Amino acid sequence: MAASTSSVYVSVIEDVINKVREEFMNNGPGEDVLKELQGIWEAKTMQAGVVNNPIERSAAKGTPGSGVTPVHDLNVPYEGTEEYETPTAEILFPPTPLQTPIPATPIQTPLPGTGDNLYNIPTGGSDYSANESGSSNGGVNAETKGGRPSPYMQPPSTWMNHRPPLDVNIAYVEGRDEVDRGASHQPPTQDFLQMNSAKRKREDFPAQYQAGGFIPQQDGAGDAAPEKFEIEVSGGSTSIASRAWSEMLTRVRSSTPKIPQLDGPIPDPYDELSTPNIYNYQGTFNEDYNVASTPAPHDIPVSTPAPVVQNDLGDDDDDEPPLNENDDDELDDVDQGDELNTAHLVLAQFDKVTRTKSKWKCTLKDGIMHINNKDILFNKATGEFDF
Amino acid sequence: MATFELYRRSTIGMCLTETLDEMVQSGTLSPDLAIQVLTQFDKSMTEALETQVKSKVTIKVVPSAQGSRFTQGLGEGHLHTYRFCDNVWTFILQDALFKNEDSQENVGRVKIVACDSKLLTQ
Repeated sequence: MAASTSSVYVSVIEDVINKVREEFMNNGPGEDVLKELQGIWEAKTMQAGVVNNPIERSAAKGTPGSGVTPVHDLNVPYEGTEEYETPTAEILFPPTPLQTPIPATPIQTPLPGTGDNLYNIPTGGSDYSANESGSSNGGVNAETKGGRPSPYMQPPSTWMNHRPPLDVNIAYVEGRDEVDRGASHQPPTQDFLQMNSAKRKREDFPAQYQAGGFIPQQDGAGDAAPEKFEIEVSGGSTSIASRAWSEMLTRVRSSTPKIPQLDGPIPDPYDELSTPNIYNYQGTFNEDYNVASTPAPHDIPVSTPAPVVQNDLGDDDDDEPPLNENDDDELDDVDQGDELNTAHLVLAQFDKVTRTKSKWKCTLKDGIMHINNKDILFNKATGEFDF
Repeated sequence: MATFELYRRSTIGMCLTETLDEMVQSGTLSPDLAIQVLTQFDKSMTEALETQVKSKVTIKVVPSAQGSRFTQGLGEGHLHTYRFCDNVWTFILQDALFKNEDSQENVGRVKIVACDSKLLTQ
């Protein structure tokens, strides 16, 4: 279950991010902030233990980013690559290819060798990809590389894009050794050309999620932030928007710990309107209960006005009034409220709730259960309990 | 389409809320946009539950015999509280049993919050 919960959560995160992207790009802070949002969110869910640590698809997100940026980075100095790749043959070779390529190049791009990197790079890349795409080696390497350059690694990937054309030529001429080099460079090229194929890469290379390394750092900073935030929010915000936001936050937060609070404000008016006795016993929540349509509550006041203070009495089952008595609620709110809120929670939609005497049956669907520190999702749930 | 804010109280929802909090607080995100993200989360979460989740769960309370044996009658499983307010059912169960295909969880006390599924289809 845990695994599927994780995958569902990951897909939800992706879905949300994808669907708000437009908003971020058009009027908002842009792609970077969106990525930050995603990064922090994912990190938090991982911390909470509801999403498996290596996020399968997160790696992919990096790829698109790298694909976008490459053009600008063509000018990036050669050294940049070293950070991301081991400074072995790959790094050393690229320069050589530039000079040697010409002889080999005959097939495709004659110009690349000449050294007009800026012009040739794009075309060279395309030619290269077209030629190389057929070879399995090229594809594999490309994927590997694709996995590496995560969103935050953009500079390297761009650099990579720059190189490919040159290497390609070499690869053809020289043979295996050259091919390997070329392959190493290929990835960038392919990323650049096939930005859309990112998903495939994600799946193939979950482990290489470099963003993961990056994200944790943000968590550290983020952890401290929330507390501050709460305080400030309560302090009061100036703009309407921020107010609305803070309300939401408090609402969400408070809701988890104390649902009753939301209802709290309402009860008073109710007390005045309807029989005061009922409310005294029922507590704040129940106001709506009367409205809601449960017939019982009205009868309550008549039969048992005050007495029932104790929560768990087996006797309750016998009398109808006890069923409606909400003494329990009062106790819950005051004494046990914290317990209830912190512990185990099921969030769902109900299809049907029925009661026969003290026997309750309910049919739930599309639920999230947080139980014993695990998140479990369900499509359907049936419950039977005695009151 | 209508959505519930219900799921924001789930772990993933709380994580998102916290994240948005921080980003609004730091000024990187506008409150309006943050709310839009939350709204989108409501939709996405609801959709994901509908389309991706297939498992079934049964919820029961610990049988009275068992409850009395282990807790001497004090913790016998039962429905502790029920409440129907603004189309939201809330149940609090004492000593509940959750079962699905591959696991079973025992919970001393659990709260179930359920919105009316019909509201989504309207």
